[in-house]
Amino acid sequence: MRKKLIGRRDFMKSSLAGFGGLFFLPQVDMKQELRVVESKGKEKKFVYRTLGKTGIKLPVINMGVMNTDNPNLVRVALDSGMVMLDTAQTYQRGQNEGMIGEVLKGRPRDSFVLATKARLPNDQKTGIYTEEATEEAFLKKVDVSLKNLGLDYIDIYYHHNVWKKESALYEPILNALEKVKKAGKARFVGITTHMNEPEVIQAAIDSKFYDVILTSYNFEQKHDAEIREAMARAAHAGIGIVGMKAIRGGSRRIPTLKNPAAALKWVLQDPNVHTLVPGFTTFEQMSVDLAVAEDPTLTDLEKKDLEKVASASGLYCQGCRQCLGQCPEHLPIPDLMRAYMYTYDYRNLTHAQDLLLSLNLPNRVCEDCTLCQVKCSIGFDVPGKIKDIVRLRDVPTEFFV
Amino acid sequence: MKTIGWFLGIIIFLWTPGLKAKDFKFPEVAGWKQSGEIQTFAPETLYEYINGAADLYLMYDFQKLKVGEYQNSKGASITVEVYRHQTPTHAFGIYSQERLPKVNFINIGAQGYAEEEILNFIAGHYYVKITVYKMESGRREVLISFAKKVAERLEEKGVLPPLLESFPQEGKVINSEKFIAKNFLGYSFLHSAFNADYELSGKKFKLFVIEGRDQRECSEMVQKYLQQTGNPEKNIVEGVYTVSDPYHGEIEFYWKGKFIWGALNLSEVALRSKYLKIFEQGLTMKN
Repeated sequence: MRKKLIGRRDFMKSSLAGFGGLFFLPQVDMKQELRVVESKGKEKKFVYRTLGKTGIKLPVINMGVMNTDNPNLVRVALDSGMVMLDTAQTYQRGQNEGMIGEVLKGRPRDSFVLATKARLPNDQKTGIYTEEATEEAFLKKVDVSLKNLGLDYIDIYYHHNVWKKESALYEPILNALEKVKKAGKARFVGITTHMNEPEVIQAAIDSKFYDVILTSYNFEQKHDAEIREAMARAAHAGIGIVGMKAIRGGSRRIPTLKNPAAALKWVLQDPNVHTLVPGFTTFEQMSVDLAVAEDPTLTDLEKKDLEKVASASGLYCQGCRQCLGQCPEHLPIPDLMRAYMYTYDYRNLTHAQDLLLSLNLPNRVCEDCTLCQVKCSIGFDVPGKIKDIVRLRDVPTEFFV
Repeated sequence: MKTIGWFLGIIIFLWTPGLKAKDFKFPEVAGWKQSGEIQTFAPETLYEYINGAADLYLMYDFQKLKVGEYQNSKGASITVEVYRHQTPTHAFGIYSQERLPKVNFINIGAQGYAEEEILNFIAGHYYVKITVYKMESGRREVLISFAKKVAERLEEKGVLPPLLESFPQEGKVINSEKFIAKNFLGYSFLHSAFNADYELSGKKFKLFVIEGRDQRECSEMVQKYLQQTGNPEKNIVEGVYTVSDPYHGEIEFYWKGKFIWGALNLSEVALRSKYLKIFEQGLTMKN
C-alpha cells in the first residue's frame, strides 16, 4: 500500500449546521487534506486530519480492535488504508494486543500508529484511585503491553477510563507516563474517558500533560454540546482528539441505528475530532467505514435518519445523573428510568424486574410526597414513571416466560 | 408512549401474586467481611465498569454483572465479579476469549484457572472473576476458597459446550477452543462458530464448526459464502467445498445437515481431508 499527499485544504465544505435544532456547529477551517491511498491496485482518496500537536496525520476513520480476534480483519484494515489501531491491555486479557502484534510483524514501523491503554484499581463508585494504583504498577503494565505487541515503542499510551478530574491528575500515573515517554516506550501519552467527559477533558487541558484525548462522543449524548465545547478547548490547546462510541457502542444493547455511517459522519462534522476508531467486526462494516473516510459529508437524508433515532431516544433517560441528590428519599432515579426503558423499549420484563429487585427500594415508593422535587433535565414525569414501573417488583418471574 | 403504556398494565392485570424472582446472593466467607454495597451493572451500564471491553461482553449476550467486595483484618481485599450471560455457550464464549491456553487450570465449575492474583471460572450461565489485592501469601488458597463458595451459590455447575468434543484430538492446542458469538470470519451471515488451534509437525492451523438451526439455514450460509468468495452456485448440495477466500486464503469446508466444518490455514490437501473426516465422525456422534 502506498500513500501520496495531494495537498488540499478545506476540500470539503460540509454543512456544519446540525440537524433539527439539536446542535449547531460554526463554519471553521477544517485543516484537513486528501491523500491518495493505493490498495490492491485501486486508488482511494481518504480525508486526513492532524492529531493535534503530535503532528500525526491520520485518515478520519481508523480501527478500534477491541471487538475482534480476527487477525485477517485487522490485516485487511491496514492494507485498505486505515493507519491507527486502537486496543487496550484489558481487551481479552492482553490477547487483543497479542493478536495485533502478530499482524504487525514485518510491517514497516512507520506504516501504522498503535494506541493502547491501561488502567489501575480504582473505586468504581467515586472514580478515585485506590492505594494499589502505583507508579510501579502502571510501568509494569506498559512493559506488558510492549511484550504483547512485540514492539519497541507504542505511539500513544493512554491513561484508561477516567471520569474524575482528580484521577486525570493522579500523580503516580502522570509520573509513570512521563517516565514511559522519556524512556522512549511511548511517543505520546493520552487519556480516555467514557463518562463525565467535559470534566476529564478540561482536567487534561489544565494539566498541560496529555498529548491526546480519546473520548466518547455521539449524536445521542444529551451533553454533546458540553463535550463539543470541551473538545474545542482541547484542540485549541493542541491536544489531539480521537472519538469513540460514535455509533453508540456499549451504551445500549439493542441498536436501533440503521445507518451507522451517518453516526460516524455526524461526529466528523466537528473539525476538532481528528479521527474515529469504530470497532467493526465484519468486512462489510469495514467497507462502510472506509467509505466514510473517503467522504464524511453528512447528507440531508442521513441527518433525517439521525433525527429519528435521536427523537426516539428522547423518550428514555439519557443518564445525565443530574437528578441524583434531588430526591429526598434518595431514590436511584437513573436506575429506575432504566428499568422503565427495559420494560417499554426492550420489552424485557425479566431484566427490568432483576434491576428493580437489586435496588433495595423501600416498600412505598413515590407515595408519600405531595410535590416531587426532582426536575428532570429533559422534562420526564419522573414520579409518574417510577410509580408505573415499581409495580413490576411483585410480579413472579415465571409469569414473564 | 400511550400505546406501549398498555404493555405493563396488561402484565400487571394478568399477574397472579405469589412467587418472587431469584437473585444471586454473595456468600459469607470466614475471615472476610463484605465491604460496601453490591454493585449491579446492566448491558447499558457495563461500560461504566469495564469501559471499552464492554462491547465484547455485549456481543456475548451479557445480561447482568454483580460485583461484591470483601476485606480481611489485615487489609487485604477481594473483588468478586459475577457475569450472567444469556446462555451457557455465551458464558463459555466470553470466558474463552479471555482464557490463556497456558494457565493453571483448576477443577471448579465447568472449568476455571488461577493465576497470581486472579481466579476465573465458568458455571452454566455465569462467568466469575475473582481478584485479590494486597495479600502477600496464601493468595491461591483464598481465591479457591472464594471460588468454591461462589460456585455453591450459583446452583449450576454446567459443562463445557458438548460440541467441543467433536474436534479431532491430534495436534489440538489444549484449551485453545473458542466460541465466536457473531460474524465468524468477519462475515455477518456466518453468525457463530467454535474454533480451535492446531499445531502438527510445525504447521499451525485452525479447525472450525458452525452449528446452524437446521439444514436449510446451513444451505443459506453456504450459498452466501460461495457468493461472497466469487463462486455462486444455484443448487447447493451437501458435501465438500474448496473456496479461495479473498481475506482468508484457501478454505476447505464440509456441509452436512446442520453442521458446517472446515479448516483454515491448512494447505496440505491430504492432511486437510484427514482432519475433516475425523471431524465428521465426531459430529456424527453428536448428531
